Amino acid sequence: MEKKIGIYICDGCDINEAINTEKLEKSVRNLPVKRHNALCSPEGVELIKNDMKTDGINTIVIAACSPRVKYDVFDFPGSIVERVNIRELVAWTLDPKDELTQAAAEDYLKMGITKVQKSDLPEPWVQETVKTILVIGGGVTGLTAALEAAKAGYKVYLVEKESELGGYARKLYKQVTRTYPYKLSEPVVGDLIKEVESHPNIQVFKPARVAKTDGQPGMWDVTIEMNGKSEVLRIGAIVLAAGWKPYDATKLGHLGYGKYKDVVTNIEFEEMAKKGRLLRPSDGKEIKSVAFIQCAGSRDPNHLPYCSAYCCSSSLKQAKYVRELSEDGIAFIIYKDIRTPGQYEFFYKEIQNDPGIMLTKGEVTGVMEENGKLYVEADSTFFMGEKIKVEADLVVLAVGMVPATKEPQEYLDGLTKAAAQGDEAKKAYLESTPKPEFILNLNYRQGPEIPPFAEKNTYGFADSNFICFQYETRRTGIYAAGCIRQPMTIAEAQDDAAGAALKAIQAAEHVAKGIAVHPRAWDMTYPDPLLLRCTACKRCTEECPFGAIDEDEKGIPYYKPNRCRRCATCLGACPERIVSFKDYSVDMISSMIKSIDVPEDGLMLLAFVCENDAYPALDTAGINRLKLPPNIRIIPLRCLGSMNLVWVADALSRGIDGALLFGCKFGEDYQCHFIKGSELANYRLGKVQETLSRLQLESERVKMVQLAINDYPRLPEIINEFVEKINELGPNPYKGF
Amino acid sequence: MAQIIKPDLNFVKEVIKSGGQDLKKCYQCSTCTVVCNVTQDKKPFPRKEMLYAQWGLKDKLFSSPDIWLCHQCSDCTAYCPRGAKPGEVLGAIRRLAIKEHSWPGFLGGLVNSPLYLILLLAVPVIILLIGANGNPLNPDSIPRGEDGSIVYAKFMPVNTVIDPIFIAAAAFAVISFVIGIKKYWNTLKSGGYEPKSASLSSTFISTLKEILLHKQFSKCNVTKTRTYAHLLTFYAFVGLAITTTWAVIYLYGWELLGIQPFSVFHFGESPYPMTDPLKIFANISALALITGITLVVLFRLINSPKAGIGSYFDWLLITVIYIIAATGILSEVLRLLNVASLAYPVYFIHLTFVFFLFAYAPFSKMAHMVYRTVAMVFARHNGIVSKELITERQAS
Repeated sequence: MEKKIGIYICDGCDINEAINTEKLEKSVRNLPVKRHNALCSPEGVELIKNDMKTDGINTIVIAACSPRVKYDVFDFPGSIVERVNIRELVAWTLDPKDELTQAAAEDYLKMGITKVQKSDLPEPWVQETVKTILVIGGGVTGLTAALEAAKAGYKVYLVEKESELGGYARKLYKQVTRTYPYKLSEPVVGDLIKEVESHPNIQVFKPARVAKTDGQPGMWDVTIEMNGKSEVLRIGAIVLAAGWKPYDATKLGHLGYGKYKDVVTNIEFEEMAKKGRLLRPSDGKEIKSVAFIQCAGSRDPNHLPYCSAYCCSSSLKQAKYVRELSEDGIAFIIYKDIRTPGQYEFFYKEIQNDPGIMLTKGEVTGVMEENGKLYVEADSTFFMGEKIKVEADLVVLAVGMVPATKEPQEYLDGLTKAAAQGDEAKKAYLESTPKPEFILNLNYRQGPEIPPFAEKNTYGFADSNFICFQYETRRTGIYAAGCIRQPMTIAEAQDDAAGAALKAIQAAEHVAKGIAVHPRAWDMTYPDPLLLRCTACKRCTEECPFGAIDEDEKGIPYYKPNRCRRCATCLGACPERIVSFKDYSVDMISSMIKSIDVPEDGLMLLAFVCENDAYPALDTAGINRLKLPPNIRIIPLRCLGSMNLVWVADALSRGIDGALLFGCKFGEDYQCHFIKGSELANYRLGKVQETLSRLQLESERVKMVQLAINDYPRLPEIINEFVEKINELGPNPYKGF
Repeated sequence: MAQIIKPDLNFVKEVIKSGGQDLKKCYQCSTCTVVCNVTQDKKPFPRKEMLYAQWGLKDKLFSSPDIWLCHQCSDCTAYCPRGAKPGEVLGAIRRLAIKEHSWPGFLGGLVNSPLYLILLLAVPVIILLIGANGNPLNPDSIPRGEDGSIVYAKFMPVNTVIDPIFIAAAAFAVISFVIGIKKYWNTLKSGGYEPKSASLSSTFISTLKEILLHKQFSKCNVTKTRTYAHLLTFYAFVGLAITTTWAVIYLYGWELLGIQPFSVFHFGESPYPMTDPLKIFANISALALITGITLVVLFRLINSPKAGIGSYFDWLLITVIYIIAATGILSEVLRLLNVASLAYPVYFIHLTFVFFLFAYAPFSKMAHMVYRTVAMVFARHNGIVSKELITERQAS
């Protein structure tokens, strides 16, 4: 496409109060520039459209508000559009009518023009894809996800490893409700099973397993094994709903499990209640009193360190079984805390109101049999903090949830550790450790299963972007839902299933059009490396957080573009700088840096800013009219993971005095939209040290800041502090060279 | 050693039935204890009472005088985040404590249930009808005074009807109370307290002082006004007790001691003129009673959104007192106006309810007077005192 550039400057929203837009207009040479007092008005948009029609303008630079607003107004399909943010970043945050403010506006406009000069119109990577959804797991979550997708008109395959659908919910006698009047209800799972089994869009495989998952979103080839036969199905996207197992109660000997027949788990109690009469396992006599021990193994560093979220409401429900199934029966609940968030609080109140349900806080110190009677002893109770003992015909242990992903993860972790010690240790491990059932059997260089949620504190739950995008895993097109992701109740699992099903549909639809999925769900570009110059260093394949890049036998990388999230981490990683997107490349950012007018006798700083959280924070600072220093230029990046070190070198060698890097929080509660980006940037920053010393510069000239979107009030302080630091260091010695 | 806790489900149900219907809503946050002004410093009151009641631990509740610490100010009820209404629950527990210890037990059951109200009223109605000189609904059948005026003593002769009936009723109440007190004292002793104070009489006197001044009661915040209403009603009853004694002296002092009427004092049979000091004192007491009980009702209604409306047990006593006060005053007025057709029925109702109050006092809320006093004496005798009393003592 031959680019014909048109530049449009907006005077509205106080822009021309702060900036001399006439002067700004004149600063542009050899390109057509127009000004308007409200570009976003119908007249303003008409002005641009008219130029497109009459003058053939197809590359539009709009110097106005942030690109995060009015994107629907400034939408010109088939054209390159660049939004230069002189409102939030300049007019609203810098001193009005100041020389430095004017200089900032002129720099941003120049950078914008450079950017379009280095950009091309994206062409999507379109392949023949399918939109079939595969749901793994036939519990409440899987059933609901299958139905949601099927009802939306998508073909669904549901794989269940048992011979019956329903998962643990099928064992339930009654279900907790979170709606008025908060009574026990019939389990939803029965209706779900019927609906799934009769739905024309759903095909159920049971008992079956996924033997292999190969390919990429829209083009997965999934091998399903059933009745000894295997079948390869083409799949668009996957919902992972493999569910959970109750915590192994045989590890709870201190609570009498295994020692006394009348100590059972909450799951076993459901099965007892389902028979319609409560009879003691030991002697078959009618049960008149039941003691429920909450957090049996949960919130205990020696067992499950976390809260499983369902046990409180479940035991409250089961206490009601005692009341309903045996006349004048009594239920004791001994708890650490009753946790019934949201609407479940009303259920708690409803149950609590039963005269025969007795609750106390307490640390259970033992379960014992004396004179043929079973007792539960608890300390630190409501009884003035004293130790009490209650007699019960039956003791129920409220055990927590262990995600189905845990065993494969632990096995694979062990394997990785053994492999690190050499081939022999690996071989010994493989021989000595029984291999658990895998769920996905992915053909991925990063391993066959979904990686754990948090690497340090691995509880075995499937990874998800926990803070912001719960269904997203590190495997594009595979969405975790239900108790595999976090412990939850049936109603929550159904909400989760609906969300994940919609994400799976979105993924299938987007890859069909060659558009990225979350979070760049509009992006049609894709990485296009200049492989001629590739040295097969494997850095891109190692660093890609999504396993989108594989290597051929010679070590040359090749992409599976539908796995790619377009974060451009590979672009940041590549020492040869050969990875480019149509509108994002190493050269483009370098050129933008070079277009900054660095004063010979004044301070100039640069900030590389993550587009996802830090840039919106800057916009918010603008909306709140916070004052920022004028001698800093902001360059938004797709992800801080895409930051190539050469840009820092470029900036410093140009005489820019220092650079700030704003990225998302990383670590256990990471907020990075691309999971690893900000962490990788931080890692690479360690290497900047090397670059700086080569240039004989202080390492403090480059600083990384983790910034959440709601941290915007801290921005003036952070930037001013950095300005002070750089002033202390003095000007960049390369200035003027 | 861990204490074995054995819940009594029936007791939980009884508390719920007796006015503690929100009992189980309590989740032991202890807000009640924090806002309560009469709580002790050692054990969380009324949180522990709520817990014991939720678990049906009757013995723990009854063997401690603490349930009588509470004057149902309802500070706890107003601040309870769960709406468990500890004030109402404590009221229900006290009601059950009275029922448990009163003698004979079956009467406790009858007085506590609206089902038997008619039966309980029928007793005095029948007794009084037998004793009455004529039919209250037919004024012509009743002998008049010499000047044709209404003389109630001619309708219900004092010596032969009123005195035997009411002395018998009072005697029954006293005997019943004595037995009740004994039973209750033994229950309290089973709580394992060690007497600390030597003399029962001195603790009794200090308790009496407390009752006369309503010191603990006046610590209420949410329903502060109730204290004044109760105080007025209480002193009205004291005044009416003095009136009764005085009337006995008038009646029998003349005959037995040979005192002759002198100055403004009219010994002998009623009615006495309005200028007689006895009459003046009696009328003031009656007015105090009607005012006091009106305020009780009024404040209960005003406070009900915060403090709860109360139980049948509460309202039975209030209604009885109200009827006694109203019919008492009305009897006098109707007599003076000589409206015979109304005067006799109203007087009859008055006597019926006075009987009701006296005879059933050991089983009705009236018994709180006795049981609370017993508990207060016991508490003082065993050195269980409120936080503020300790501070006061230390200060002196």
